[in-house]
Amino acid sequence: MSSADLSGSGLAIETNGLTKRFGERTALDGIDLRVPRGSAFGFLGPNGAGKTTIIRTLLGLTAADAGTMHVLGHAVPQERAQALQRVGAIVEEPRFHMHLTGRENLRIVAAVRGPEADARIDPALARVGLSERADQKVKSYSMGMRQRLGVARCLLADPLLLILDEPTNGLDPGGIQEFREMIRAMVEQEGRTVFVSSHLLDEVEKTCDAAAIVDRGKIITQGTIADLAGGGAARHELIVGVDDPDRALGVLGASEIVLESHRSDEGLRVVLAGEPQSAAQVNALLVNAGIGVARLEPVRHSLEQRFLEITSRLDADLVPEEVKA
Amino acid sequence: MNPTIAMRMFGADFLKIRKKRGTLIWALVLALLPVIVFFVVGAIQHSSAPSEHSPAGGTSHFETCVQLLGGLFFGPLVAILIGVEAGTGDLAAGVFRDLVVTGRSRAALFASRVPAALALCWAVIVAAFVLALLGTYAFASNLPTPSASLIFNSLGFVLLTTGVLCVVAVGFSSLVGSKPGSIIALIAWQLVAGPLIASIGSLGGARRGVLDQALEHFSPLAPDKGRHGPTLLTMSGGTAVIVVVGWLVVFLALGAWRTRTMDA
Repeated sequence: MSSADLSGSGLAIETNGLTKRFGERTALDGIDLRVPRGSAFGFLGPNGAGKTTIIRTLLGLTAADAGTMHVLGHAVPQERAQALQRVGAIVEEPRFHMHLTGRENLRIVAAVRGPEADARIDPALARVGLSERADQKVKSYSMGMRQRLGVARCLLADPLLLILDEPTNGLDPGGIQEFREMIRAMVEQEGRTVFVSSHLLDEVEKTCDAAAIVDRGKIITQGTIADLAGGGAARHELIVGVDDPDRALGVLGASEIVLESHRSDEGLRVVLAGEPQSAAQVNALLVNAGIGVARLEPVRHSLEQRFLEITSRLDADLVPEEVKA
Repeated sequence: MNPTIAMRMFGADFLKIRKKRGTLIWALVLALLPVIVFFVVGAIQHSSAPSEHSPAGGTSHFETCVQLLGGLFFGPLVAILIGVEAGTGDLAAGVFRDLVVTGRSRAALFASRVPAALALCWAVIVAAFVLALLGTYAFASNLPTPSASLIFNSLGFVLLTTGVLCVVAVGFSSLVGSKPGSIIALIAWQLVAGPLIASIGSLGGARRGVLDQALEHFSPLAPDKGRHGPTLLTMSGGTAVIVVVGWLVVFLALGAWRTRTMDA
């Protein structure tokens, strides 16, 4: 996977204090989002968190109430036309004129985009594997084929940025895998930026380089997948199996390379102060102290753990004081 | 927007409504069937009782056909069906947002619907008009046939009435956003509300604001042969033009405004 540097200046999407209200309800609450160019970026959150609203706002489908947005370096909505010239998007499920063929549906969008888009119709259909079904009416297409036709429609823009809203909804496992591979190829081989909203943790973790977690209209955290899973700055942990846990805890507690250590069901849980390479130093430390090491295993943090931590903390924050008491 | 893109967008909108089979079939049926039935029934009546029924063609029957296509139910209904299809097609299919995210201005997306709807509407109406002309000459027998000026003026009148209604239908349906709602409201206006308002004497000169009354002013037929007959209000050519242009401007502006401001 390509690395995603969120501090870099090459941002495909940048929002500051983006706010959107529907009557009394605040759908987006001061969103500050940074999506680096040339990466697959996941926008992760439960249903109703505001994922689709931010996409609709970025694309000018609905107006923001406050804040600023830049898409591919252009201010939106002031320079909306230039900003969207090289953006392809699927918002919610891809929709088409069902009475027209796949190719005719692409012709309609190509006509709106400009003459150069016409030449991209056949390559786009080939890219998503729909060349042979292109002249059949869309109403005969499966959900997976419609998703792929939606991507083909995005490709008419030769997009620098693809915005895909829950792209794997309704796809079978094979279709999901195909879609993941397509997204990765677009990023790694074609250098495009892909912004994927999803409520599926596994989806984002397997597809994306970086992500933002959103809930109740606020971005809770954003960063590379590794950083997010580790909890902010990368966090390296080990499970250590030893023959004398009490003495091992004493040795580890006195060492500078160990930030924290405690017993767990699986053995000793050791949080390293430095890089993952210091796992070897932990082993040496224990062995030199005459403690037998039977197991030394790095803990793989998943985004799911982190997501559940964050959202459960949020839920706890929202519990009224009297209920907590 | 440059002319090339405008033409391509017109072509795309035309494709959308031309391929909408249900709408096109209904439009053809409503335009052609009454003309066919009119001549066939007239021919049968004439052949069975020549002394009681004149031949089915000739100028008089041509004028009735002009009323069928221009002033009466069928031509306007074709215009409403096609105009509403053009005005609501993208929204109904859920494709409008996909067109908006191309970055093309919403005003341009709205504007391209109008010529596309007009082109299809007029193609259907011209087909029916040609059929009416064929019947007029084929069944004329010894009756006088319409002059060239009556034919051209009639064609102009039929295209004007259906064209104006078609454009109003595009604007109104873009404003409302609902295909069935727009069709019901426009037909109710055309068949019930408009004639009713025009017949309420106490409304005085305000009745000249009814679109049908203004359009009828351009009919090449004698007033007693027009749709409104004795209820037709007198108005100057200038007033009629102002009323027609007013309807076009108001509904185009409302449709464009709604298209520009709605959440896609």
